[in-house]
Amino acid sequence: MKQRLAHAAVLITILAVCLCLFPTKAYAYLDPGAGSSILQLLIASLLGALYAAKLHWTRIKSFLAKCRGTSVPTRKKK
Amino acid sequence: MTESTATVLKHAAIGGSSDRRLPSSFRDPSGFLFVRDGILYRQVNRTYQRHYDLLQDSGLYKELVSRGLLIPHEEVLLDSDSQVAYKTLKPEVVPFVSYPYEWSFSQLQDTALATLQVQKLALRFGMSLKDASAYNVQFRSGRPVLIDTLSFERYAEGAPWVAYRQFCQHFLGPLALMSCVDARLGQLLRIHVDGVPIDLASRLLSWRKYFSFSQFIHLHLHALAQRRFSAKARPTGFRRLSRAGFLGLIDNLETAVRKLRWQPQQTHWAGYYSHNNYQAVAFQEKTRIVADWLDRMVPAVQSIWDFGANTGHFSRLASQRGIFTVSIDADPWCVEMNYQQCCRQGETQLLPLLLDLSNPSAAKGWQNQERMSVLDRGPADLAFALAMVHHLAISNNLPLRKIAEFFSRCCKRLVIEFVPKTDLQVQKMLDTREDIFGDYTQQAFEHEFGQVFSLRERASIVDSGRTLYLMEKVT
Repeated sequence: MKQRLAHAAVLITILAVCLCLFPTKAYAYLDPGAGSSILQLLIASLLGALYAAKLHWTRIKSFLAKCRGTSVPTRKKK
Repeated sequence: MTESTATVLKHAAIGGSSDRRLPSSFRDPSGFLFVRDGILYRQVNRTYQRHYDLLQDSGLYKELVSRGLLIPHEEVLLDSDSQVAYKTLKPEVVPFVSYPYEWSFSQLQDTALATLQVQKLALRFGMSLKDASAYNVQFRSGRPVLIDTLSFERYAEGAPWVAYRQFCQHFLGPLALMSCVDARLGQLLRIHVDGVPIDLASRLLSWRKYFSFSQFIHLHLHALAQRRFSAKARPTGFRRLSRAGFLGLIDNLETAVRKLRWQPQQTHWAGYYSHNNYQAVAFQEKTRIVADWLDRMVPAVQSIWDFGANTGHFSRLASQRGIFTVSIDADPWCVEMNYQQCCRQGETQLLPLLLDLSNPSAAKGWQNQERMSVLDRGPADLAFALAMVHHLAISNNLPLRKIAEFFSRCCKRLVIEFVPKTDLQVQKMLDTREDIFGDYTQQAFEHEFGQVFSLRERASIVDSGRTLYLMEKVT
């Protein structure tokens, strides 16, 4: 639980810093969707990478196993 | 189109001309729904022409309809204002319009997943959903289907998902609240017409207590971003949302929704069938009588509302005879169990809904006309009120006259059970309170219901003291 909270704290800090650093002076009118749009732009790279990792998870596992010099266990046929 | 659907359309439409626009169809300038001669049509405006053509030409429409994810329609020729109208569509009509605040947890979850599945397919065909409203999804043959054919637009590479905020408000926020905090928080959708505000969802969901990466991003950080940029213009030009990022966003939302679970505590009502001693003998007798009456009414009855349906035992007597049945209960657990059984058994004629009869859904939204009240959606050909009257009369202090009046407004025929004061269930109710119900008698019941209904059948349920009535509304 402590480890999860620590990871969460790091994540919050990074993303909060990103939000604070984002340029804001160029905007001129109220738009309740602005925050939603900007958030998507901020998280897109991370979520895109996670999605790619999910799609290629088997290959990534094999690659990591190769690096460690072990083989990925395969399912035995019943 | 069934008679009940025609009635819904009659109630839903406004205006004095022969074409009557549905009052729920006004926000999107791409087109609107209207009724002519009792038939529902959707006008596609010229401003939407290129998107509609792409929907058809890309094959997306065909793909979605073949998967049961989009309501099918046929293009028809009607005399319309050709300056404005591009096409007129005649969509298939769902048998009953229900709203997200009337759905159980799994019903809302399934509609959310269906919306995301539609969006993923749309992206594959070069389009994207321009809105993600839970009201655009209805249940047809037991499964969620998108009913708004004009919800698609050409996908602009690099643009963020315009419906992202709406998806979080209509689906992810309410589902997370129902799953993590309390299932009754789904009722926040009654108050907030455009979904639960993200800052409210974030405030009610402690991220420390219920930490999940996806919820943190899409609700807590989303609320923070809204606060931070609330007075700023939408960003243009300086950054783009890559296609991979877009797909990652949709995939992450799907994972977030799919992971949510609701494991309710069993409620008093959920064990109602098994914990009542009258059930063993009388329950079978009651089932036999209701089934017998149904068999005699099947051709004339096409829609049934079962009030106080619990997990749907009597509703299934009707739905298994091919009659479309709305299975209504006020207990979220019962509705959830009922819906899960529908899914497991692939039932197509049953729609479980969460409704409290003492406070049924009111008309809501702009001019109180956007979302229909329960009564606006009737009358049903037949209603069941089995083991219901004593709860209304004694638990809710409702006079028998008012109960009779309510049923006369929502159905043409009624199967109702009178439970006398000598019944164990009524005794339990009166154990903890003073008996102020001197006029709760079978004679008074028959008199009050006789004012608005005429008696067709009457049958005593053996070993219970209870009586079943089949009544027909006095015209």
